[in-house]
Amino acid sequence: MDNTVSQEKQAFYQKLGEIAGTSNVLTGEKATACYTVDGITPQAIVHPASTEQVANIVRAANESRITLVPWGSGSKQQIGPCLEAADTMLCLGNMNQIVELDASNFSVQVQAGIVNGELQKQLAEKNLFFPLDPLYMETSTIGGEIATNSSGPRQFMYSTVRDLVLGVTVVSPTGDIIHTGGKTMKNVAGIDLCRMYIGSWGTLGVITEAVLRLFPLPEASAGLYITFNDAEDAFRMVGQLLNSPLTPSAIEFLDSVAGHSVAETLGSGLNDGDALLIVNAEGTRGDVARHCQDVSALAKTNKAKTIMALEDEKAFPAWMAYRGVQGAMLGANHSIVQGKAAVPISKLGDMVQQVKKISASHSVKIGLTAHCGNGILYTYLAEEHEALLRITDELKRAAASLNGFFLIELAPLSVRKEIDILPPRNDYPLMRRLKAEFDPNNILNRGRLVGGLG
Amino acid sequence: MIAPSIIKDLARIVGKENILADLKDLLAYSYDATMRQEMPDVIVFPRNTEHVSAIMKLAHREKIAVVPRGAGTNLSGGTIPVKGGIVLEISRMNRILEINTADRRAVVEPGVINLDLQNALAPLGYFYPPDPASQKTSTMGGNIGENAGGPLCLRYGVTSKYVFGMEVVLADGEVINIGDYVEDFPGYDLRGLFIGSEGMLGIATKLILHIIPKPEASRTMLAIFDRLEDCSQAVSDIIGAGIVPGAIELLDQKMCQVIEQSVKAGYPTDAAGILLIEVAGLANALEKQVQEISQFCQKNNARELRIAQTNAERDAIWAGRRGAFGSVARICPPYIVCDGTVPRDKLPAALHKVGEIAEKYKVLIVNVAHAGDGNLHPLILFDVNKPEEHETAKKAGDDILDACIAMGGTISGEHGIGLEKMNAMRHMFDPSDMAAMRRVKHVFDPDDIFNPGKMFPPEAEAVLPKEKGAAR
Repeated sequence: MDNTVSQEKQAFYQKLGEIAGTSNVLTGEKATACYTVDGITPQAIVHPASTEQVANIVRAANESRITLVPWGSGSKQQIGPCLEAADTMLCLGNMNQIVELDASNFSVQVQAGIVNGELQKQLAEKNLFFPLDPLYMETSTIGGEIATNSSGPRQFMYSTVRDLVLGVTVVSPTGDIIHTGGKTMKNVAGIDLCRMYIGSWGTLGVITEAVLRLFPLPEASAGLYITFNDAEDAFRMVGQLLNSPLTPSAIEFLDSVAGHSVAETLGSGLNDGDALLIVNAEGTRGDVARHCQDVSALAKTNKAKTIMALEDEKAFPAWMAYRGVQGAMLGANHSIVQGKAAVPISKLGDMVQQVKKISASHSVKIGLTAHCGNGILYTYLAEEHEALLRITDELKRAAASLNGFFLIELAPLSVRKEIDILPPRNDYPLMRRLKAEFDPNNILNRGRLVGGLG
Repeated sequence: MIAPSIIKDLARIVGKENILADLKDLLAYSYDATMRQEMPDVIVFPRNTEHVSAIMKLAHREKIAVVPRGAGTNLSGGTIPVKGGIVLEISRMNRILEINTADRRAVVEPGVINLDLQNALAPLGYFYPPDPASQKTSTMGGNIGENAGGPLCLRYGVTSKYVFGMEVVLADGEVINIGDYVEDFPGYDLRGLFIGSEGMLGIATKLILHIIPKPEASRTMLAIFDRLEDCSQAVSDIIGAGIVPGAIELLDQKMCQVIEQSVKAGYPTDAAGILLIEVAGLANALEKQVQEISQFCQKNNARELRIAQTNAERDAIWAGRRGAFGSVARICPPYIVCDGTVPRDKLPAALHKVGEIAEKYKVLIVNVAHAGDGNLHPLILFDVNKPEEHETAKKAGDDILDACIAMGGTISGEHGIGLEKMNAMRHMFDPSDMAAMRRVKHVFDPDDIFNPGKMFPPEAEAVLPKEKGAAR
């Protein structure tokens, strides 16, 4: 990288101090090194305190063609197409307040930098919750979760970010403040810009505030942990469960590689080839009791090996173990590759079979977890470069043959630079036009998302 | 006016039997369910995606305005061809292409009528939740253009939650696929932008919809109140307690009286207001909900609570609500439907304000509301032969929308902006918000071919299309 910093950039870094206060600006290699993403170390880190400050920073950056990367907690920075430039990291962590909690309307307005887990604590005091539960919710910010369209197991009952966010305030790449949506449950006034910003990965604007839809904490909950000798039995059961009037809040699948630690927490084990299914229910006592009864009965008729129904907080340790699965798998090996397949719901079992064939033919272990009700399968594998390219290629073809797709989420930089991360689609040109229209100088998160849309 | 040669070119694309250009036909497509009228040049009925693409290539080359149209039931003037041109009528693209309950998907052409889809799903034990009151006639394409709601959206959410993917023809005739059959597609949510875009970004030619199993059981109740305040407070209390019924609809006394004149729903005509409440879910859990709701109604001085015991009783209760707009049209065709929406707990205050506005302007307003969502539908009646009454009615409507905005609400919950609420957009959005919307329009449709003259208020005061006569 070029070590000389142009005068214009130098002036910009000075301006950052004027806008956000010098104590909220970090410069110098030492301070910025830990913000290195995809091999790029930024020159400055700024922590603005308000939407207005963000607008002033972005406007100045646009005028001086400084590239910016919005930053929540940094938990998604290694995902997806590679970043191409990052002069300054725009950190929203100091904007972490609840602006307005409207309990009687079941909505809350928050600043983007509030951490999901922290928000939940404050909501719980009012007997409310926000049903978004992505993996890193204890550290990830609401703004980051919205920008990356991150959902968790509860999406089966409550849907994804796209249906849970009522409005966002955004600073456009040219520094304009844009308000979208509002506090009402229904709103069709004008083009639905809110949905455009959700999942735009910070490439179309910086989300600074959001209005979220809340729900009352359920009266009761339960988790059913069911093991099978064969994944096929598990998916037959899922098919029957989905075709029933039951309304579980989550249906999660783990293979024996991924499910090992959860089984240990339950005091049992999983043999090679076993499968673990977690069915969560929440609602009134009556709802939950009925789910426990009916789901257990379904499991029995589908040759379940063990069935454990854990009510309320008794399910907590096992659920936390499940939430830790991805971290455990990734933590052990930095060269691990996390992929995601999306297939029609009824084809998820077929996809699992195909992955097993691929893993057997290459003699590699592939860990699997899935949101069964949404047809989403995560694959974890650690493999050397050459074999990896062949394996991911086969996974892509397997998903495509089932009318779905497979993409790489997390992978070492060298891998992400070399392979096509995203599946082919015919709407990428329109997306690129949208990016060019909103960010003519390509200053926001250059290379991400649209940059990787080949 | 477009050249006769263009009409010939269009006939070559879709066939003569799929074109209308006579004056009487043009007249029939010059209006929708609002009070405005403007003549198109030609009506085209494509049969497939290739037709739509070829029509758009022609329109793009010749820079002719194109207005996509379903059943024309929209309530915001969205399908009125203010710049003339081509009305692209999708009603003949009406095939249900696939229903796959195991994948929870239905794939349909845009001309499929909402109720026809429901009727195809019902025997399989499935349904498509958005249920606009117009569902007997409105098309799925139109539902998507307006991001339609309906009573059941309280529990299940609106159209945008149930459209997973679309095949779309762009302004230059290019065919693309946005969203997907599967979930969590990568890239920008173009599908989210497209839904509710009122035919201004493109035209959908294939829709991938999310369907879900029908609830095991449901109970339908009618709660009758002597004071409207009690009625709306009961809604606030029920929702505030965290109970999410399938639907809560509110109708005031005048609305009930009007409905009873044409639909025999059994609504009381002497009560200040009624609530139509439906709960749905697992059979064993319903009784508790019914009891809780009953208690909240009693606490708010409900005079009577009827619980439907048979399907016939349930259907009668719903028939009244579904026939509400039609019943009003029967006694007084010209009316303005407001669609203002407020935060849920502001419903009592908003209804009170509507009453004040009716008194202030001395206009007759009848009320129906998707109460659980805070979505009001005051209908403002007037005599079409008295232009000053129409003006007064419009002023009252504007006041209601401003009141909704002041309460933290919005000018439209489910009907869209179209022509009717174009000017109210200014009260709702900053210039920077509107500029961002225009950018989206520019990216999709740089030549402003799709449904021009809608949604965005003109920089200068618009010359609105001439008022429509009594014919509706």
